[in-house]
Amino acid sequence: MTKNEEIISIINDFQPKIKKSLRETSFQDREDLEQEINTKIIEKLNTVKFRESPSFWSFLK
Amino acid sequence: MKRNEEKIAEFFLKYRDKVQNPIIKGFLANEDNLSLLKKYILNPTDANKSKVDKAFKQHYNRVLKIKYVSNLIYFFTMDYNIKRRKENDTVLLILDKSSEYDARTPLKDLIEDKNEEKHTLNRNLLDDIESERLIKALQTLTEKQLLILDLIYHKQLTLKEISEILKTTPQNISNLHRKSLKKLNQILSEEVQSKYDKE
Repeated sequence: MTKNEEIISIINDFQPKIKKSLRETSFQDREDLEQEINTKIIEKLNTVKFRESPSFWSFLK
Repeated sequence: MKRNEEKIAEFFLKYRDKVQNPIIKGFLANEDNLSLLKKYILNPTDANKSKVDKAFKQHYNRVLKIKYVSNLIYFFTMDYNIKRRKENDTVLLILDKSSEYDARTPLKDLIEDKNEEKHTLNRNLLDDIESERLIKALQTLTEKQLLILDLIYHKQLTLKEISEILKTTPQNISNLHRKSLKKLNQILSEEVQSKYDKE
C-alpha cells in the first residue's frame, strides 16, 4: 500500500466520524468544515513523524 | 500435522498473558498476520521472524495514525466551531447590527422600501385577483363598494383611515363593506347553484 492509498483508506474509514462531527456545526458551514478536515488529515499524515513502532517480539518478553 | 497444532497451542499458552495485550490482540485478529506468526512458530527462521515484525510495525503504525486522526477530527471541529462563533459575533454584516432605534431591531428592518408605495398605489384589487369568477362578481359591485374593498383588503387601511379619505364615518364604511361582501356571497353562491342545476 503506497502512502497515498493509505491516507485515502484512513479518510474513508473515518467518514462516519467526520459526518458526525459536522453535525456540531451550523448548516452553512458543513461543507467548508468537511473539506477542511479532509485537507487537514492529508496534511498531517504527510508531515507528522509518528513514533517508531516497537518490535513485536519486545511485547512477548 | 498434529504436532504443528500442538506447537502453536504451546506458543499461545506460553504467552497467554501477552497476547491479551490490546495491540497484539488487534494484530492477531487479522488472518494474514496470524498465519505469518504461525509460520514462524512452525519454522522459526530469521526471515519469518522479521516478516512478522514487519507486519506488526505496519499494524502499529496504522493504529497510531488512526488514533491521531480521531483526535484531530475531534479537536479540529471544536476549534472550527469556536472560531466561527467568534467571527459571527464580532464580524456582523452591517445591516444585521442592531439599530439605534432599539436593540432588537436590526438595521435592515428600517430600510425604507421606496417601491412599495408605487407598487400598491398603481395596482388595485382587480389586478391581483386571479379567479375569473371572483373578478366577474366584483365587477357587478358599485364603484364605491369596489373602492372600499380595495382599500380594506388590498391597501390594508383601517376603517378610520378609509373614512377620512372618503370623508364619511367609519360606521358607514363598515356597512358598505358588509353589504358588498353579502352581495359577493350572493352572486357566487347563485352561480354555484345554477351550475348544480345544470348538471
